[in-house]
Amino acid sequence: MKRHTAFLAYIFFALTFTLTACKKDEVEPVGANDKNNLTLEFDNRAGAQKLALATTSYKNGSGEEFTVTTFNYFISNVALKKSDGTIVKFPNQYFLIRQADEKTLTPVLKDVPAGDYKEITFLIGVDSTKSVSNIAERTGVLDETSYGTDNMYWAWNSGYIFLKFEGTSPVAPANSAGVKAFQLHIGGFGGRTAVTPNNLRTVTLSLPQQATVRKSIAPTIHLVSDITRVFDGVNKISLSATNMVHNPKDASPIADNYKNMFIVDHVHND
Amino acid sequence: MKKLICISIALLTIACSKTEQAKPESLFSIPANFPQPVYDLKKNPISSDGFELGKALFYDGILSKDGTISCAECHSQPYGFTHHGHDLSHGINNLKGVRNSLPLQNLAWESEFFWDGGVGDLDFVPIAPIENPVEMDESTGNVLEKLRKTQRYPPMFKKAFGSEEITGAKFLQALSQFMITLVSANSRYDQYIRNEGEVLTKEELEGMALFRQKCSSCHAGELFTDKSYRNNGLTIQGSMDVGRYRITENDKDKYKFRVPGLRNVAVTLPYMHDGRFYTLEAVLEHYAEGVQNTVNLDPLLNQNGKRGIQLSKEEQSRIIAFLKTLTDETFLKDKRFINQ
Repeated sequence: MKRHTAFLAYIFFALTFTLTACKKDEVEPVGANDKNNLTLEFDNRAGAQKLALATTSYKNGSGEEFTVTTFNYFISNVALKKSDGTIVKFPNQYFLIRQADEKTLTPVLKDVPAGDYKEITFLIGVDSTKSVSNIAERTGVLDETSYGTDNMYWAWNSGYIFLKFEGTSPVAPANSAGVKAFQLHIGGFGGRTAVTPNNLRTVTLSLPQQATVRKSIAPTIHLVSDITRVFDGVNKISLSATNMVHNPKDASPIADNYKNMFIVDHVHND
Repeated sequence: MKKLICISIALLTIACSKTEQAKPESLFSIPANFPQPVYDLKKNPISSDGFELGKALFYDGILSKDGTISCAECHSQPYGFTHHGHDLSHGINNLKGVRNSLPLQNLAWESEFFWDGGVGDLDFVPIAPIENPVEMDESTGNVLEKLRKTQRYPPMFKKAFGSEEITGAKFLQALSQFMITLVSANSRYDQYIRNEGEVLTKEELEGMALFRQKCSSCHAGELFTDKSYRNNGLTIQGSMDVGRYRITENDKDKYKFRVPGLRNVAVTLPYMHDGRFYTLEAVLEHYAEGVQNTVNLDPLLNQNGKRGIQLSKEEQSRIIAFLKTLTDETFLKDKRFINQ
């Protein structure tokens, strides 16, 4: 009887292995000209909480309470690295992530060549070439006239605001309307003719599992960004000291922080 | 004979192409004594319909939040497209800005705009006054919304750009087309330099020689600017404006402002970034006697232990006589630029 059980167990394991192997074989082969979409999901959080606008108070590393009214940032120059080391770039695709507008949180990279990808790189902001380009090239989210009251462009110091973080905090001074508001506007592409502070930051993250783009698989890379890292990173930013930032120089330490606010949580391959 | 035919054909070809381009040429051409323009006209070719649209927009208060302030409010043609009689330009609700409005002329030759050079492409210039809370206090997107709702503008956009669709790019390009045609190059000085029969007086010629010797290292070339940013030794007062530093955030740029061109200078008063001097006499007196040793004072104004420019009263008045030859009556009264 014992022998019989052992035999059954052996059969069971063998089958399991065979099945697993079969499943692996089932992954569609990479066709030379196959392409598909790849979605980037930007999941903005405050520490371990979902980021909610205006309603909820969070705390930064300096123990200061704050609420968030606006959280926007540009993502551009995405590049994906294949497991064999080759890099696929996506120039000329610019995304504006706006927490207030859900449909902006899941931008799609189109026509991604089929392959197994292990790493993602992107720029937070709008690269310097595009920042000085001809007006005819400023379409979609780069159209300076498209932002309405939620402006992402400095008209007086011509350039895009790469990341905009606004809210209220009891430690911020009251404005003319009596609101204790803070505004952190980070921009500065390095200057057109003079060298000025450059707050473009590149993020490179390896994927916890490969994104397998196939003819029938359009993966999603689920990124989590933690807004508290804007305050707490290589630099300690306290809202009592830093609550109005509208110039590139003062924005640099903040950019150095938010460069590290992203992680890739997981990848969906379906 | 063969040669003659070739030349005739060449001449005919030139003549033909000239007639074809007659319209744009009458709106914009490069004066013989000017360098090549900086603005790339290929990316925004000037048409008479684009010009008319740009002109209509330039004179329309619809660009401002409450409909009261047009571009022309602070850029008035008889005064070289400046805000006459105001040191600091007044905008919406009579709010005061911190800077004196610059003349709008020969903009195709400018590489950077405003006193601090914060904008580097003419097409993006109008967004700054439109969105400045003390100028027009409006969002450019809302201006476009208002234009779309008018009877007047959609057909004008169609004529200028082939479609009634009003976009930010077309709106700004139309304004650029109008602004680029504002070329001032027919002053007595220009006619003299181009040997068109104009004669300058002895005093004016002496003033020109003095100007070339004492002023032209900064006010260089036919546009009378080397396009640099300099601290010319004004006392730091009022809003304590840091000038170019606002853009570069480099300590070496504190209190530096763009060297302005001097065409029509006799009518573009007041002078300096904050309009502190009401007469050319006051300006010249500053350079002769008033230069202060402030942070980043331009080395050219601080040579051999002496601040300022060595200029006697007589020399100052000769230079002023020369500067008055830069007034271009044709430009200041050009009917093409007047709102009808």
